[in-house]
Amino acid sequence: MKKLLLSLLMATACVVIANAQAYCGDHAFDGTHRNEVHGYVMAGTNVVTDGFGGIAAGYRRHLTKRWDVGGDFQLQFGKQLYSFDVMAGYRLPLKYGSIFFDGFFHYNRYNRWGFNETIVNLSAIWESPYVDIRLGESYIHYQRSGHERGSNGYSEPLTLTFGVGVNIRHRNNPWNIGLFFRNYDEFYYENWNINWGVRFYAPLPRRMKLFGEFNVRPAGSISQLASKYEGSVKLGVKYNW
Amino acid sequence: MRTHYYIIAAALAALVFTSCEKVSPIGVLVSGTAVEDRVKMSHLYYQEYKSELEVAFADDEYSFIVGGDSHVTTDPGRMDEMLAIGLENDDLFYAHLGDIADTKAEYYIVLDSLLKEAKKRFVNKNYVVDKDDPDRYHPKDNPQSWSLYSDIVFPFFPVVGNHDLTHNGWALWSNIFHSSFYEFPVLVYNSENGDIEADRFIFLDTASGTLGKKQIDLIEEGSLDGSDKYRYRHTFVFSHTNIFRPSSMQFASTFPREETFFLLDQFAEWNTSMVFCGHVHAWDECEFEGVTYLTLDSMSERNSPEPGDYLVRVHVKKDGSLSWEKVHMNYTAKKK
Repeated sequence: MKKLLLSLLMATACVVIANAQAYCGDHAFDGTHRNEVHGYVMAGTNVVTDGFGGIAAGYRRHLTKRWDVGGDFQLQFGKQLYSFDVMAGYRLPLKYGSIFFDGFFHYNRYNRWGFNETIVNLSAIWESPYVDIRLGESYIHYQRSGHERGSNGYSEPLTLTFGVGVNIRHRNNPWNIGLFFRNYDEFYYENWNINWGVRFYAPLPRRMKLFGEFNVRPAGSISQLASKYEGSVKLGVKYNW
Repeated sequence: MRTHYYIIAAALAALVFTSCEKVSPIGVLVSGTAVEDRVKMSHLYYQEYKSELEVAFADDEYSFIVGGDSHVTTDPGRMDEMLAIGLENDDLFYAHLGDIADTKAEYYIVLDSLLKEAKKRFVNKNYVVDKDDPDRYHPKDNPQSWSLYSDIVFPFFPVVGNHDLTHNGWALWSNIFHSSFYEFPVLVYNSENGDIEADRFIFLDTASGTLGKKQIDLIEEGSLDGSDKYRYRHTFVFSHTNIFRPSSMQFASTFPREETFFLLDQFAEWNTSMVFCGHVHAWDECEFEGVTYLTLDSMSERNSPEPGDYLVRVHVKKDGSLSWEKVHMNYTAKKK
């Protein structure tokens, strides 16, 4: 009962959550645009699949200054990982920063092994000029359709989502560099496997922005002597109007 | 501004370090033998001494006993009890799911003494000393053959756990158990039709939360597929890191996504019947694609001081069917 109550409290506290997009400044909304589109390329190495590369893109529509909706997709070659998501979010402005409540539905196709994964994530992000913190929960289900042994799939127990990012400059500066520490990425959420790395953004002409990150994804937690599992680079452009 | 540059320089330096094959993000702070090196060493040993593992032979049916996360320190009561339970029940062998001892040399001395003492009891129960040559030991069920005491394999088969690796623990662990990546068959003589059946037991090195590149390559190359001589009825897999989490409140790390799906796919490929895991110190039982996954609670005195059902015994019956039961441990941890 205690665990159930804790889970409910955590889920309630997070209500709807956070944008899987973790680039620093990504949540910044200047109130002058209604549409955002971004795209990036990625490359990396993974223990299981060796080298991989991919592309991803997404769109956000700010319905009002508080509400927004959007969707993203990615194609990761090498891993044979194909994904899309849809999201909706609400921004609560505070005296110091904002809190974003986001809800995501993700679908991942791990084609190499024939697994279909669906995820519902609810998160809250507190974003201040120098620090952003994300807390949430994920419901994750996966299965293989048509497997000879048959299966209704597996639903993981609720998975805590958490992340911390810090910027070296005020978030509204035209360029910035920051560090992040989190147990998720754009399209996956894991239990106690901690990603960390460097992120940045820089100005481009015509309301565009360059962004990117270097992500170290170890396997195992700190207590498990985390081992090298995956390193990746993302580099992209965001445009709003 | 200068502070900013220092922060950037430190971050970049950390990233450069983590790009190195020998240094993990945490390995910068805590040294240890990485999974790639452990698997290379283990595989070499396994290839050299593979034949020694092919000794398990049973008539018609047999059982084996599984425990994990014993974290042996100065109070080895539970491990002693596990060894006694297996001997008393005539289990064919013991399997241990890792984190066998906390990594201090004195704890491994305690563990080594326990295993040596258990081997003595095992040999006394199952062998007789040759009347003319005291160096020769004859199996009671096959008096025609004989072995030297040193050649008798005490049937205790562990996987390595993350706590076995801290403070350079691999040196202590591998000194006793040698290999963290291996498989062996159990050959079963069917007295009704005279056939020889075979079951397969696979032990994976998952102590670091990943199989690592080398181990994945070896698995894909078929290193653990066993022999073409046998058609395996059952495959049992043993892993320290758990595949599934017992509950939302269990924050011990599991495998990353790709590795989880790789393993689930591989278990299907091996036609696996049961997978045993430890690590998270909580009981869990589930079934996925016809495979039974059991995650065992810790049997250690510190984590589970009161008596409880910390072991699992699996029965492989004459008709090839399986059943399993929890086994109670009575030992109560000494109060400090």
